[in-house]
Amino acid sequence: MLIDAMGLILADNERIRLGKIDEPRSLAAVPFAGRHRIIDFTLSNMVNSGIRRVGIVALTRYKSLMDHTGTGSWWDLDRIRQGLFMIPPYVNMTTRRPDRTDSQSIIDYVESGHQEYVIISGCEFVASMSYLPLLDAHLVNGADITMLCIRDKGKYSIPAVTIDVDDGGRVTDVLVDHPSPKSDLRAVSLLVLKRDLLLEILQDRMARGYSDFSALDLFRLYDTLTVRTLIHDDLLLRITNIAQYFSASMALLDDENRHKLFSEEHPIYTKVKNRAPCLVTPESLTLRNVLASDGCMIRGNVENSVLSRGVVIGRGAQVRNSVLFQDVQISEGVTLDHVIIDKNVVIKMGVRLLGQDDYPIVIEKNAIV
Amino acid sequence: MAKQEIVAMILAGGQGSRLGALTDYVAKPAVPFGSRYRIIDFPLSNCMNSGIETVGVLTQYQPLELNSYIGNGHSWDLDRNSGGTFILPPYVRQEGSTWYKGTANSIYQNIPFIDSFQPRYVLILSGDHIYKMNYAKMAAWHESKGAEATIAVIEVPWEEAPRFGIMNTDEESRVVEFEEKPEKPKNNLASMGVYCFTWDSLREALIKDENNPESRNDFGANVIPGMIDEGRGVFAYQFDGYWKDVGTVYSLWEANMDLLERPDVMDLRDEMFPVFSRNYQQPSHYFGENCRVSNVAITDGAELYGDVENSIISSNVIIEEGAVVKDSILMPNTYISAGVYLERCIVGMDTLLRPNVRATPDEPEGTEEFCDKLCSNGITVFGPNLVINEGIALKGNSMVWPNDAVRVPDMVSERYRSWRKEMNQC
Repeated sequence: MLIDAMGLILADNERIRLGKIDEPRSLAAVPFAGRHRIIDFTLSNMVNSGIRRVGIVALTRYKSLMDHTGTGSWWDLDRIRQGLFMIPPYVNMTTRRPDRTDSQSIIDYVESGHQEYVIISGCEFVASMSYLPLLDAHLVNGADITMLCIRDKGKYSIPAVTIDVDDGGRVTDVLVDHPSPKSDLRAVSLLVLKRDLLLEILQDRMARGYSDFSALDLFRLYDTLTVRTLIHDDLLLRITNIAQYFSASMALLDDENRHKLFSEEHPIYTKVKNRAPCLVTPESLTLRNVLASDGCMIRGNVENSVLSRGVVIGRGAQVRNSVLFQDVQISEGVTLDHVIIDKNVVIKMGVRLLGQDDYPIVIEKNAIV
Repeated sequence: MAKQEIVAMILAGGQGSRLGALTDYVAKPAVPFGSRYRIIDFPLSNCMNSGIETVGVLTQYQPLELNSYIGNGHSWDLDRNSGGTFILPPYVRQEGSTWYKGTANSIYQNIPFIDSFQPRYVLILSGDHIYKMNYAKMAAWHESKGAEATIAVIEVPWEEAPRFGIMNTDEESRVVEFEEKPEKPKNNLASMGVYCFTWDSLREALIKDENNPESRNDFGANVIPGMIDEGRGVFAYQFDGYWKDVGTVYSLWEANMDLLERPDVMDLRDEMFPVFSRNYQQPSHYFGENCRVSNVAITDGAELYGDVENSIISSNVIIEEGAVVKDSILMPNTYISAGVYLERCIVGMDTLLRPNVRATPDEPEGTEEFCDKLCSNGITVFGPNLVINEGIALKGNSMVWPNDAVRVPDMVSERYRSWRKEMNQC
């Protein structure tokens, strides 16, 4: 499978906030599905589609992301010629604002690649998919930009970008966080365009004094360029707010969803950490509908939950409907329901934390409760 | 080549014939162990944790799986610019070709390899033991004693001593006598198959051994006793920690169970001295809605829907609802169908057990068709890449070999890998 495209991943999205869990890290580096992070899906999709050159635009709090991606070897992107390129903020004498990336560094990355197309992806969704259908659709429809959309069947929640199209499928309107949109088409930050067109757009924006860059900026070019959509009707979990993050995590407990996200033909790669196998001791009486990871030590009871690596569940603890990040320690006799707990948190003996389905409790990184 | 202080050589060429069907396709060091490891992960990780960056792996028997597992050594951080991992199979020379005749001969044949790093010390390690050991400490001890050879030893229970190579030492830890499997042991310090040599001394001893037509070219039988007899400085370095030879079906089963029964002794969770393994990128493992799980070690990609007790579950294992697995070891990619009942079993990689297969130590209606002297203590072994047909019941101490698919096709049928491929195409 050879594809004439390079990838560009936008690790942040300033319109999205996931409670406290994206405070210490970029959206891309938010843990998901136990041992993975959101960016693993995008990176793996790119690699599985045959892309061998991927740039990651990281604006802020990217230490965690860089720890995760390393040299790119986990995705087979440690290459002499192509490979993985980190594009952190480019601070120079005129910009001086590290919270805004100077598009110049993106221009440099795109310019030095010889591929004809660029596939740009954000990190506010999780899916396991090939990008070839998107590129194929783009080649057939003759548009300047082809973007991915989904039909929103669930409860409408913001942030969301609603798309209107005409009968021919051309984008005619882009509505950001509209309170009651008529169209059920929601934009997904995944699009393809020609390398040369992207360079032209970026240089034009630079000349007009815009230094930031997002997928939305490209969607909004619909009146000067032809922007068309491809509708994705397979599993795609949007992660645009903390309630969605929670329901996407719970969706992983469904066999069909999980097998769609993790199939043998479409492996999702991640950073390898050599943790010992997960141990379930005889003291654990109930363990059902749980996704768990290496290094866990489960002595208590867990139901309907997702456990990252190295989570310790103490004797007699009751954990239900919760998402626990790496190395969380739940002491004896703790009760948790609808809680998201960030990395390295310690919950001390006997604590009870009960959240709600659409409003899970979030405990921030390194806290001791 | 850049000079290296220490070069480690891992003896990974043995067949491990006592593991029977489990080593039919693969060399013993490549046999899966403890849910997410292969046996060779232990010496490789020990090297990495000891700061040794040049490792030669001597292969001979069925090297394909082992070679592809080790790759360039990246998983153990052994892909170095100078040094790293080297797979060393026997090779053809101008004067003809020879297989590795014995452990000592395999090192003898690789003298040019070791010479190219000009090391002071060479470690000779077995590829078939489970233990975590800092070789740097042993080498430092070797140096402090001014030894020519240092043999790592471990205290074993007196009653078990006759099964081991026993070192009789003086008060300065100098080895005065080496007895292979003595009937009446004078000591209970057993050789662990871990040797540290001063390279110049070993080089000389290897050449001498090679020129002796009577020699079996074996470290334990020839080279080390030879050095002791010559009065060379041979010392015993006492190791204190978990160590287990996994050469037999029963000892392999026991060592796996130690992971559940003595996790603190085996100490796999120590992040300062982790055991590395090659990771094939699977999702987190899943415990199903109605599963019952107690005392289990489990890793990536496994999905449990049945009842599992006191067992080791490797990556990508699937256990359907209604299956019962007790005191067993399931190697990677095994598939256990509904109604299967296993007790004290080892299921090899990529093997499918169709519904209602039963194997327990005292299975009342079980067939004795597969009973095998390699199995003991009621343990049954299913070889790799097999399909066990529906409803087959086996008595304990059975071993199902890959060629049983030809011998008894009504019980053991087509290869699982092709079955799985078809499943994926559907």
